[in-house]
Amino acid sequence: MRFIVSSGSLLKQLNMAGTLISSNSAMPILENFLFTLLPGKLVITSSDSESTLTTTIAVESEVEGEACVPAKILMDILKTFPEQPLTFDFGGDDNQLEISSDYGRYQIGYFGVNEYPRLPEIEDSSVSKMPSGVLATAIQKTLFASGNDDLRPVMSGVFFQLNKEGATFVSTDAHKLVRYRRVDISTAESAEFIMPKKPLTILKGILSTAEDEVQLHYNQKNCRFEFKHIVLTARLIDGRYPNYDAVIPKENPNKLTIDREAFLHSVKRVSLFANKTTHQIRLKIAGSEVQTIAEDLDFSNKAHERIQCDYDGSDMEIGFNSRFLVEMLSNLESEHVLLELSAPNRAGLLSPIDGKEIGEEVLMLVMPVMINS
Amino acid sequence: MYFQDRQIAHMDLDSFFVSVERLIDSRLNNRPILIGGTSSRGVVASCSYEARAFGIHSAMPMKMAKQLCPEAIVLKGNSGTYSKYSQLVTDVVRESAPVFEKTSIDEFYIDFTGMDRFFGTFKYAKELRSKIIKETGLPISFGLSTNKTVSKVATGEAKPNNEIEVSKGNERPFLAPLSVQKIPMVGEKTYQKLCDLGVKRIHTVQEMPVDVMERVLGKSGRGIWEKANGIDTSLVIPFQERKSISTERTFDKDTIDVHRLKGIITAMTENLAFQLRRGDKLTACVSVKIRYSDFDTHSLQQNIPYTSADHILLPKIQELFDKLYNKRLLVRLIGVKFSHLVGGGYQINLFEDNEKNIQLYQAMDKMRIRYGDRAVLRASGMDAKTIGRSNPFNGDPPPLLANRRI
Repeated sequence: MRFIVSSGSLLKQLNMAGTLISSNSAMPILENFLFTLLPGKLVITSSDSESTLTTTIAVESEVEGEACVPAKILMDILKTFPEQPLTFDFGGDDNQLEISSDYGRYQIGYFGVNEYPRLPEIEDSSVSKMPSGVLATAIQKTLFASGNDDLRPVMSGVFFQLNKEGATFVSTDAHKLVRYRRVDISTAESAEFIMPKKPLTILKGILSTAEDEVQLHYNQKNCRFEFKHIVLTARLIDGRYPNYDAVIPKENPNKLTIDREAFLHSVKRVSLFANKTTHQIRLKIAGSEVQTIAEDLDFSNKAHERIQCDYDGSDMEIGFNSRFLVEMLSNLESEHVLLELSAPNRAGLLSPIDGKEIGEEVLMLVMPVMINS
Repeated sequence: MYFQDRQIAHMDLDSFFVSVERLIDSRLNNRPILIGGTSSRGVVASCSYEARAFGIHSAMPMKMAKQLCPEAIVLKGNSGTYSKYSQLVTDVVRESAPVFEKTSIDEFYIDFTGMDRFFGTFKYAKELRSKIIKETGLPISFGLSTNKTVSKVATGEAKPNNEIEVSKGNERPFLAPLSVQKIPMVGEKTYQKLCDLGVKRIHTVQEMPVDVMERVLGKSGRGIWEKANGIDTSLVIPFQERKSISTERTFDKDTIDVHRLKGIITAMTENLAFQLRRGDKLTACVSVKIRYSDFDTHSLQQNIPYTSADHILLPKIQELFDKLYNKRLLVRLIGVKFSHLVGGGYQINLFEDNEKNIQLYQAMDKMRIRYGDRAVLRASGMDAKTIGRSNPFNGDPPPLLANRRI
């Protein structure tokens, strides 16, 4: 088995696939790339046993064959080459891969493919389609709000709800929540599933903003994303997603409209003076002014700012973890945001006012902290 | 600035509780007084110098003290009154001292460094002492030297109602003739160990090489050796943030009544959680302690996400208690502790909290702040009437325990 490939384009594909490979995997075979050679193309597979990514690249070859190639050393050597054709020769029986470059020859021991886990076939799958740009935005808007708690695995992923009315993506860690909805993407058969964080992070990196179409194939256990030459298969998180709709307050009489960047920068500055563990700040809203206040008694640090805003509602003082506010405000792009509040012990709802795409709906929710008034 | 150029005073009120009682009731003057727990388990928290003549010292079981001096007057004491008088003294100290640290209800360290050239430190400290005596009527003693340890030892030597200055360079000769027991770090066990080695006087420790001390006493050996040589670089820290809050309770009679034990830890947890919320604090580590009747003491702790909510803390404490108390043995003492404290309010959870709960906490806390800690309680904890319920975040040092060493 032998093929010739451009070093640059191979490295690009390996870099992408390599994100799934960790150096201390429970299954040592997963520290390798699975190379599947077909006439004229090479399929590269990487996996962390939960998710599997395959990508296809054009090569010069005539034969077929398979081999597991150690990932780290292969990527390390490729990084050192300028663009040039490389010859991969898997030789005879001694399991030695010989790579020939303009500079010389390199030998790497490779492994047989019997131990490499095979991709699960997705049976009884449903199919949905969406532009890759939309999926990329949905991931980027929701991923940051998902949780890290091992005790509540369902919250560590992003909840996909696909139906006739649209596509909804939800993430929450029980303290903040994001709901990203596209009413312009409809799926005939309703489906709901929870995608884990890691494959979404990888997807976010490789999805183009272009209008390439992504196909989603899914059943109860797995979901497969197909676009261009890439296929990513992930095992879904098993469990019931919390009833997020029930916790979004419907009556929010206090409405605050504010310049997003001014608000974000104020929170960032003031939070430098907040307690380094809890990051808590207070918002004091009265008239047409928001005061951002932070205090760290341990070090006698204090900060206090005022920002102009449009406010329709009763005066109120509410405490938040400033990190959540910063994450949310930086994740939005609009010029102005709307913050809807009801009471100091109930959720605040943040949404962009302008700059939305057609069919797009963004809602962010943040729970306050109890403060002594 | 060199460490040996500092001027640090240690001030300690003489038999503080007794002095306060005598201020209130002059009939107690010149008589042996014992203050402390009056039950069979009680220990002496403070005793007058007249009582000390009978060989009584603090931390001695009350029963034994009464046998030694049957004619002594025994008082239960009132921590509220003592705190009030302690506050009066603190106010006077605050007026005159540049930097001071209150380490317990009746002790202060004051850093007078740099004041020598204007006032004469010893003279200034003397004036402060007379001012305290004049304004509060309470006798106080002090020791002045270049560091905390030597000053503390000096105060002990000065008592009652006197003062000592150990000038720079005289620390070692001052300490040399004293018993090793006088070194603040040396407790009963260490003393015993040193005695076994034939070390009785500090002088002997001074002559020993430091590694011998380390070999005999482990890590603390170096600390003790340094203290014996009058070396102590610790600073006078004006305000110490509480790192943990706790309550514990010793029973008059050992108990095996699980229902009662659970009631008590419920009451303790409920109260500590209220203290957290009142002080705008959160805890990230909770622990339960049990001492069995044979003094075998066990504790179990667990890290949790930052919280100050009853409905998270109560089940957690119960769970730890259930894990810890599996021996079906008589229990002598039980306690609850929250540590890893940070400033902040409870982060409300989207799914697990509801508005009613949060409002309930806020309403209960309001009632407690207005009408006292026991204004609202869980019925299961109602029987626990005598657990400590003071505010731990008012800047005062932790309330001193009856069995401390003086």
